[in-house]
Amino acid sequence: MRRAALTALLGLLAVVAGAHPAPNSMLRLEFRADGVRVEYWVPESELAYARAADPGGDFPAYLLRHVGAESRDGKPWRLTVGAVRETTYLDHPYVVADLRLTPPAGTPTKDFVLIDDAVTHEVRNHVVFVTARREQGSDLLGALQYPARRLRVAAP
Amino acid sequence: MRTTWAPALLLALTGLASNLTYAADGTACRTAHGGTADTREIVAALAAFKPMLNEQQQKVLYQPFDYDHAIRWSNLPLGVVPRNGLRLGDLDAKQAAAARRVFEAALSACGLKLLDEIRLADDWLTAYDKRPIGWSGGNYFLTLLGTPGAKTPWMLQIGGHHLAYNFTFNGHSPGATPLFFGTEPIRFEIKGASYAPLDAQSGAMSRLAAAIAPLPQARLSGTFTDVVKGVVVNGAPGQLPTGGTDTGFPQSYPAGEQDRGVRVSTLSRDQRNLVREAIESYASFPGKSISAPLLQSYLDPKNLDATFVGFAGAPELSAKGSYVRIDGPRVWMELVVQPAIAHPEDLHYHALWRDKQSDYGGEIHK
Repeated sequence: MRRAALTALLGLLAVVAGAHPAPNSMLRLEFRADGVRVEYWVPESELAYARAADPGGDFPAYLLRHVGAESRDGKPWRLTVGAVRETTYLDHPYVVADLRLTPPAGTPTKDFVLIDDAVTHEVRNHVVFVTARREQGSDLLGALQYPARRLRVAAP
Repeated sequence: MRTTWAPALLLALTGLASNLTYAADGTACRTAHGGTADTREIVAALAAFKPMLNEQQQKVLYQPFDYDHAIRWSNLPLGVVPRNGLRLGDLDAKQAAAARRVFEAALSACGLKLLDEIRLADDWLTAYDKRPIGWSGGNYFLTLLGTPGAKTPWMLQIGGHHLAYNFTFNGHSPGATPLFFGTEPIRFEIKGASYAPLDAQSGAMSRLAAAIAPLPQARLSGTFTDVVKGVVVNGAPGQLPTGGTDTGFPQSYPAGEQDRGVRVSTLSRDQRNLVREAIESYASFPGKSISAPLLQSYLDPKNLDATFVGFAGAPELSAKGSYVRIDGPRVWMELVVQPAIAHPEDLHYHALWRDKQSDYGGEIHK
């Protein structure tokens, strides 16, 4: 029964992909006491356009140029790029990077400004969905589309 | 060129039940007789239609006029995004004829032609729908949001995969938008007849792009893989996506002068005429009661002067990523060239008309 449901889900996910040639990015945020963990999902097709417009360096270096965070008072946070892997979502190839955003000492971690234009600096219709990770599923916190590259994020 | 559809072909391919003569050429369809979108005529056509429907059909035809129902339109097939309303493919011949009288009252000759040809394009795709995702001319819907009448706001939705008519009556302002239209394939033949549903609009946008291409500021920066203010698929890893409808509404639009293309006030008379033609080609779909006041506003010299036009990619729309946009104080019109889905080596169009003031008649709030 469960396998049948999973098969149906995977089939429908593939159908969605086949009908939608312009996939979007997803950032899943996990708020912790010492900072914010981000699971950063970016579709390879749209990323390729963006990296062609800003070549140079490897993927982590590229992310460091385009992703970041700062406190509400403008103090920058430290971004660390961890593991990077390839996967598929909705039948589209995605790159998934584990990021860690660390605020200056003593800065609240649940209310900050997220910065991202890794794809949107080039792809005008691209949308970045920012969500808060839950035990099951996620809550949509906001979205970014060119020219916006800054989103105030508050933990739910 | 004029084409006549035989009733049998029409019935076989679209389930519609009237003999229809239309002009295949876009300019000619603008001069052909069509509906006026006069509220009384549409309400009368709906009053004649309703008694033909059973209780269940009436239940799905009439929906509440609120945010969640209004934004339920998409450029995605039925298998991905379910629609509100009455499925046209389920109507019998008498019901289909009565529904068509509603369409004839609401749509211009161009609008009716687009509806017919987009449904035919989906019929053409059916043979390639192996997954399946619901490509079919029958998978188009008629929905009424609110209570049709002469006073209170209500909406008429007609649409499916590559078409979304969202007309609002008795709203704060005339509501023709959001109006999404697209076609795959761009050109096709069925039983010896040739169709190019977006020929007028793509031609007008392409001529405009070619005319402004020599102007450096006319070229928009960036890459376009779809229309910018269309529906969005909101995904979360491991889950089915939500959205695929107009969840981005209300939209935000570019401001200032930066990267919006060239200002129409700086264009020559001939170039300005091409802007007018492109706007008129999009605004030709609703009946005149809806389109005339909008056109009057868009083409008002002051508003037209403050409008920007820009493009990306190939002005002749011959490659994926080619894009043309009209961005005025109110009007927002886009056309983008994407790879085709059924045959990825081919191309297909997505186009969108929005009104920054009167999407959904100014009646919908999140």
